Amino acid sequence: MTVSMAGNLLIAGVAVGAVYAIMGLGLSYVYGITKIFNYTQGAFFTWAAYIAWVLSSGFFHLNYAAAVIITVATMFLIGVGYEKAVIRPLRRFPEWQMTALIVTLASAMALDNLALAVFGYAPKRIPHLIKGNFVWGDFLITRHEVVTLVAALAIMFLLILFLKKVREGMAMQGMAQEPVGARIVGIPIDKMYSYSFGIATVLAGISAILLAPKILIYPTVGWVVFIKAFVVMVFGGVGSIKGTVIAAFILATVEVFVTYYIGGIWGMPIFIAVLAIMLIIRPRGLFGTW
Amino acid sequence: MVVNKIGRKNALLLGGVLVLGLLPIALQGNARILNVLIAALMWGVLASAWDLCMGYARVFSFGHLAFFTIGAYTAGLTARQLGIPPLAAIPLGGVTAAIFGLLIGLLCLRLRGVYIAMVTFGLHMVLQTVIIWGRDITGGKTGVTGFAPLQIGQYIFSPSYPFFSYYIALGIFILLLFIIYRIINSPIGLAFVALRDSEPYAKSLGVNEYKYKLIVFGISAFIAGLIGAVYIHFYGIISPVTLDIPIFLMVLIMFMLGGLGRFPGAVIGAFVITFVTEALRPLLLWRFVALGAIVVAVTVFIPGGLMSIPERVRPFIRRAFGRRHVEEEVS
Repeated sequence: MTVSMAGNLLIAGVAVGAVYAIMGLGLSYVYGITKIFNYTQGAFFTWAAYIAWVLSSGFFHLNYAAAVIITVATMFLIGVGYEKAVIRPLRRFPEWQMTALIVTLASAMALDNLALAVFGYAPKRIPHLIKGNFVWGDFLITRHEVVTLVAALAIMFLLILFLKKVREGMAMQGMAQEPVGARIVGIPIDKMYSYSFGIATVLAGISAILLAPKILIYPTVGWVVFIKAFVVMVFGGVGSIKGTVIAAFILATVEVFVTYYIGGIWGMPIFIAVLAIMLIIRPRGLFGTW
Repeated sequence: MVVNKIGRKNALLLGGVLVLGLLPIALQGNARILNVLIAALMWGVLASAWDLCMGYARVFSFGHLAFFTIGAYTAGLTARQLGIPPLAAIPLGGVTAAIFGLLIGLLCLRLRGVYIAMVTFGLHMVLQTVIIWGRDITGGKTGVTGFAPLQIGQYIFSPSYPFFSYYIALGIFILLLFIIYRIINSPIGLAFVALRDSEPYAKSLGVNEYKYKLIVFGISAFIAGLIGAVYIHFYGIISPVTLDIPIFLMVLIMFMLGGLGRFPGAVIGAFVITFVTEALRPLLLWRFVALGAIVVAVTVFIPGGLMSIPERVRPFIRRAFGRRHVEEEVS
């Protein structure tokens, strides 16, 4: 194998990894703050992709920038609304985190099948954010991949900044560390729960906008990305932003090389094998703290 | 009074069994309803085994449908490849599932709740992948079929002999449910009550949480695998579709609806859900949207499940009639 081939695969891997990182951050963020493992994240991915499709090439034929902004805003409202309607009523009961697992799984199934009933089996396609490539010698990277990479890094830094410097972010960290104490010092718990779901849903939406142009959109597309993001989260350590991003880049690069040299169907087994080994050897992940 | 001697709850359970035993006669052998009832009995066993693990032992397992499938595939494949008779293949399915259960349990039962859910769901996903790719042995997406059925005389355990099959299924159902009932009311069940009420105190008295969890996990995996083997013998086929999310959720809903950790609740939930999904069939694609919405609604509005309704309603009745039942307060 030539150097340029390896380099191009590496670039492709890093670009895919950026999407997994954004998706994984969404999962990890909600788990870190609310201790809910949110199975609905995959369905939110699917719906964001469909919303982007309806706005851009499906019906409205909007300007792409407008479509992206509307999708992200809608996803935030969906996330906040979902928390208010479904998760909040559960919180009255003891051991609600257990029931929340089942409820999020059930909502994921309802949303997936709703997508199937509304949009049908036929896969949809949405355009790239920007067309064109950057070429440098033998190496080639599409502009879309550059945007993906920049978006992922920007989101990572914005999240860290939000958690460290912004009042709401610090309040959320307080909730993650000591829920009862946070309530005592007057942090509006309900609001913070809604916001964290809103943010996670937006992250699912952004990763859908970035990944959907490369793959087809179909009603269960979210599950594939969700499972990979889940492995990324466990591998990197739950609740660790740095760990999630590093794990995403490692796993995506491995996946791209495996897909190229062995075959596409081995992508998922690699992820599952990594998950199994990681949970046996070091269940808290690379950078996890429990 | 006879009822007082055996206790009101046991009398109700016996009454339920009696009703189940007489149902086919009341239905005059209506084949369609009997077949739905047989399905409900089998799902009822799986849901109860799962509930034993989740509701009593508090092990957040997402792997019981995988154990069910392991049992079914073991029974089907050994019967087809090695010609093992059904009566041996069915327990073999249970034992294989139990071995898998113990291995998974050894690995993950020391982890925290949500992590157990992740590992066991990982098993679930791996299993589906393995079955689809191990096409040469497992039959891939078409599944396992073509083995000798469970046959007694001229009767075959299959949907074409509903009357006979119903009583076979009922016999297995009663046997397995009795095992679950005995475990719940054994020292193991008591240990879990102690752990639930006050974990530090129970542990200080020497209750070994890990050991009991492992035992219960293994037994419930055994029962799940056994009923999986019965399932494949009844329908004569099993495919990886069994591991799809809608079916996984359907079984979860059964014991959530009945009431987590409230013994016959899982069975009641299984009967309700089996008949509801059967009734929702005309909705086609919207069926699973409805099913998902029902689960969300049930968990949000009646978190204790159907079995908690009497104790929720009782205070209202008491207030309405203005008298107190002393004996109920004591028990």
